[in-house]
Amino acid sequence: MHPEVAAYVLGVLDDADLQAFERHLDSCERCQSELKELQDVPDLLDDLKLQPSASEDDDPPISMSR
Amino acid sequence: MCPVLGHLDDMEHRIQALYEQFGGPLLRHVRKTTGNDLQWAEDVVQETMVRAWRHSDRLQWEPGLVWAWLLTVARRIVIDGRRRRSARPREVEPPEADTVPVPDGCDRALSAIVVADALRSLSQEHREVIEQTYLRDRTISEAAEILGIPPGTVKSRLYYGIRALRGLLRDKGVAG
Repeated sequence: MHPEVAAYVLGVLDDADLQAFERHLDSCERCQSELKELQDVPDLLDDLKLQPSASEDDDPPISMSR
Repeated sequence: MCPVLGHLDDMEHRIQALYEQFGGPLLRHVRKTTGNDLQWAEDVVQETMVRAWRHSDRLQWEPGLVWAWLLTVARRIVIDGRRRRSARPREVEPPEADTVPVPDGCDRALSAIVVADALRSLSQEHREVIEQTYLRDRTISEAAEILGIPPGTVKSRLYYGIRALRGLLRDKGVAG
């Protein structure tokens, strides 16, 4: 198990780790399989993260007043 | 023909072929994350195609894996772009798991409620690393500094947190 795959899928690895992880990915079937499996999660988090009608250029997070 | 020009010609052809294969679906996917900024989305797709061409050995993977890789590359490019755009100091309230967006009748708002609910069900350790990284466009080392824990711990908690979140979202029928 290589936990960096989650950070890679989410796009939050630091630059140096990103390069190294992609090289690792080339030869690790387990991480390749998890890369596919975890793909839905950031997309679903985007529904929470991004305001649907964002019109400002700085893309503020969704307003969450009850 | 001059070898250099021949090479460029070949590169252009291969990038064109990548566009034909992946460009449309990738653009539709990326647009959802650029706030419908089409120009930005097109730039992201172009940069993704160039990177795909540079690592064309990965295009030999099976199609599902190639697609997952391209989505991941594009996602990172969008995040880097958003970080650059918001480089000026500002403090906005980030999404918190214990608040719920106002439903506006669209699928995305409904999905956001389900995701917020699932996040709330996670342990605090798992929830906070997801909030401090992806939801705030922060890298592992930035989140590690804020949380006062080693980067390796952030990576590990993020892995288990994301797996747990995916399990919950699958149970709710929103993840594949």
